[in-house]
Amino acid sequence: MAADNISVLKLHDVLLVTVPPDPDDPTVTALQEKILQAMMRHDARALVLDISTVQTLDSFFARIVSETVQMAALMGGRTVVAGMKPNVAVIATQLGLTLGQAETALDVDRAFDLLRMPAPAPLPAKRLES
Amino acid sequence: MTKQIPPIADSKAWRGYDHQPTRGELQITSESDIVVARQAIRQVCATLNFGLTDVTRIVTAASELTRNIYQYAGCGVMRWRALVEGAKTGLEVTFEDNGPGIPDVEQALERGFSTSRGMGLGLPGAKRLMDEMTVQSTAGKGTIVQIRKWVK
Repeated sequence: MAADNISVLKLHDVLLVTVPPDPDDPTVTALQEKILQAMMRHDARALVLDISTVQTLDSFFARIVSETVQMAALMGGRTVVAGMKPNVAVIATQLGLTLGQAETALDVDRAFDLLRMPAPAPLPAKRLES
Repeated sequence: MTKQIPPIADSKAWRGYDHQPTRGELQITSESDIVVARQAIRQVCATLNFGLTDVTRIVTAASELTRNIYQYAGCGVMRWRALVEGAKTGLEVTFEDNGPGIPDVEQALERGFSTSRGMGLGLPGAKRLMDEMTVQSTAGKGTIVQIRKWVK
């Protein structure tokens, strides 16, 4: 699996990134780079990370996502992580994983709705305690 | 490139793997084997009547522990076997390497402790996700981590 089968779509000033279902570590790392490059190239204001097909969210994946959110924020972009599966949410909470400053939405539609509203005041990243 | 995991019933396709429906093993030698390990465990779980959330727990724990092998030891092996204990059934997965070992197992099981640039959630995380976990480690000789999950 390589970075070229990661879909990054530009919709107005929002980037929609679909994370592949079972990415290996190099793909996850490539995803981060691809997102940041695309943000700069398209002058994007926000990023929607669609993780609805992701079945395993482990600590490595969570770290790269939260780093990407932070990097995008440094570049002035807002990130919404959309579509986390219920079972993935259970495991993420048990593991104590955090997605950093990412906003979250049930699905991509809701993520776009959320982006129409003003960004919330930045909060310190919280660790989910279970 | 990712190795494709053949279907469990297709035993002839399991050339590189010593595999039967109830037990098997996978050599972990590269980064892409982490994905192969996840797929293998997912397939084994599918034959054992685990619920979706438990499958995700076991697969996530396997992902963390095979990544530990790759990161700290470079290579190792993951073995699995189905468990039957009276009316209970379950799955046991063992992760073995000949790496540097863990100097202080107690400390490694604390959340947030990491000697690499990880989040320090791998080993304690795996423990929380499973019903049982044991860690045996000898400095300079290697580490064996064994996890178990019972079908609810």
